[in-house]
Amino acid sequence: MLIQFILIFFILLLVLRLIWQLKNKEISGWQFLSWLVIWFLAIIIIWYPQVTIFLAGQLGVGRGVDLVIYLSVILLFYLLFRLLLRIERVEKNITKITQELAVKKDQNHESD
Amino acid sequence: MKILVLIPAKDEKAKIFSVVREIKDCGFEVLVIDDGSSDNTGELAKAAGAKVLRHVINRGQGAALRTGLSYALKGDYQAVVFFDADGQMLASEIEKLLEPLLLKRAEVVLGSRFLGRAENISFSKLITLKLALLFTKLTTGLKLTDVHNGFQAWDLSALEKITLTQDRYAYASEILKEIAHKRLRYQEVPVTIKYTDYSKKKGQSIFNALHILWDLMIKK
Repeated sequence: MLIQFILIFFILLLVLRLIWQLKNKEISGWQFLSWLVIWFLAIIIIWYPQVTIFLAGQLGVGRGVDLVIYLSVILLFYLLFRLLLRIERVEKNITKITQELAVKKDQNHESD
Repeated sequence: MKILVLIPAKDEKAKIFSVVREIKDCGFEVLVIDDGSSDNTGELAKAAGAKVLRHVINRGQGAALRTGLSYALKGDYQAVVFFDADGQMLASEIEKLLEPLLLKRAEVVLGSRFLGRAENISFSKLITLKLALLFTKLTTGLKLTDVHNGFQAWDLSALEKITLTQDRYAYASEILKEIAHKRLRYQEVPVTIKYTDYSKKKGQSIFNALHILWDLMIKK
């Protein structure tokens, strides 16, 4: 089916970008590997949708597509949660830097 | 007792000069933390005789107060007073707020506009504050008549005992939680809060209450 080719084409583009990011050391080898596994699984599911139907049956979920959606939502929530934590840490660090700067600038003025 | 009055300020050029002057006239040292103002709040505060520390970008009232506290802790101060930059508090009431500290009756003195006077308070603000009061009672067990009142006096040794992490307005709830947690000796003192069109515009909107709740639940 055409949709399968289109989806896989886009995933291959994403994988290329991953390789490029790894080369530029923008992501760690560990991150690269986990994303690669995720996209690899996606390709399998797209190429052999029967796999999900089989798994869904085993787990008692009605349709294969439903199983994929459930798992995707769980994954998305997990990533969102991690992102929130990461932003929180970045915010804290920005505050720390701002506070240090305020004090440092004051000390510089005093020594003028 | 050496006392420092802390004023976090962002874009308060209309009021900051007179606010600082009034406090200086009462004989107190003033530290203004200019929290990334886009106007000349910092210069005006300095011209009025305040010591000024400047955040290069806005980090929120909680963060600004922490900057002021670390400054106070490095100096030889024994107590700090939290004061608002928008002119809704009375400098003449600082003395009254400090009294329980001087008499060693309390480590923390919290201003209460409901024991005192809340001039021109809007109905929606009143409802929000009463709900916040209920929330505080349920979460901390503190028996207070007012919450989120920025007019407070602290013994510095008590401040060293507590941990503050919230950058934005949720710090006000965090402070109360810490008072309960560390079993600090606190006392409420009636104060006047004058709501003017200016302070209402600059102050908290009701929707911020939801923000504060979100911060308290998510950011820890």
